[in-house]
Amino acid sequence: MTIKNYDDLTSLQLDTLRELGSIGSGNSATALSQMLGREVRITMPEVRIMGYNEAIEWIGGPEEITAGVLVKMGGQMNGIMLSVQQLDFVNLVLHSILGQEVEDYSGLAEMENSALIEVGNIMISTFINALSGLADIKIELTVPAFTVDMQGAILAVPMAEYGGQSDYIMTIGGNFICDNRQIPCRLLLSPDIRSLNFLLRKLGVNDGE
Amino acid sequence: MMANKVTIGIADMKMAKGEGMLVTYALGSCIGICLYDPAIKLGALVHIMLPLNLETGRKNPMKYADTGIRETLKQMEAHGASRSRITAKIAGGAKMFEDSGGSLGNIGQRNIESVHMNLKKEGIRLLKEDVGGTTARTLLFDVGSGLGCIRSYGRQELII
Repeated sequence: MTIKNYDDLTSLQLDTLRELGSIGSGNSATALSQMLGREVRITMPEVRIMGYNEAIEWIGGPEEITAGVLVKMGGQMNGIMLSVQQLDFVNLVLHSILGQEVEDYSGLAEMENSALIEVGNIMISTFINALSGLADIKIELTVPAFTVDMQGAILAVPMAEYGGQSDYIMTIGGNFICDNRQIPCRLLLSPDIRSLNFLLRKLGVNDGE
Repeated sequence: MMANKVTIGIADMKMAKGEGMLVTYALGSCIGICLYDPAIKLGALVHIMLPLNLETGRKNPMKYADTGIRETLKQMEAHGASRSRITAKIAGGAKMFEDSGGSLGNIGQRNIESVHMNLKKEGIRLLKEDVGGTTARTLLFDVGSGLGCIRSYGRQELII
């Protein structure tokens, strides 16, 4: 059955998306390990479908400042993928790549921003590559866009982009484990509804159309 | 200005009368619309996300500028507000990501235009606004005084 809303997803379809999310973020963790030159593992990621306001609470409240890397998907699947980089994650990256850390986001200059964009972009690209390989679909990605601002407003970007179709957003949350420290990893994937149906059909869990 | 804080989420609206603080956090491309009848000190804050309601079921009128404004005015009137006295202040409509290809479009700008148009259509005077740009805004609306306060990252507080 073709779904019209995230509400309509069956438990089999949800499980399939969860599996996809965990394979994708596993690949992202591997890419991150290679980039940082140290071992980064990831806990079993939690894939959830949430309402807007619920998603903002889940990520840690609307006003908290974070860095966001956004990539738009095109080709056989349209959507947005976001990497939300909270301060712990930012410092893990900066420490490994540039050998320095920042007190807060105001300490980010051109060089730090470039490092964060690159890391976010590679994590998103490896995630999408895994998805594209598993489902056998071609996905093109735009150049990453970057901002540092209130995370509620960053999350609202994919919500607004597909808000006319759905009141829900798909979130993938896990924790990176690096040097015995747990560092939150937050990725958000929001395909448009037509692409979600296409993806589910390609994965063999959507009989409709 | 800290009395009775009421939080408004995305695609949500709340009212307060006499006193109280209506707050909506992290408006990006979304717009917070404060509607106020000063004579009876009735204030409403609606947090819209998109310019036009094209949904068939129309489950959530507060998600859209057109139906959000219309429905809020209706509810204010039901609480004794008079259309001729209601004024508006708005904030939001930013473009959060500067993307080179422009593939994201500019929902913020479309929201601003739609809010302007719908306020005009409903005969509501727009007193003040802080819209556009590239930064997120938190909007606090003091129903006692009718004043709005805007907090942004890396910018001074602004009173509207």
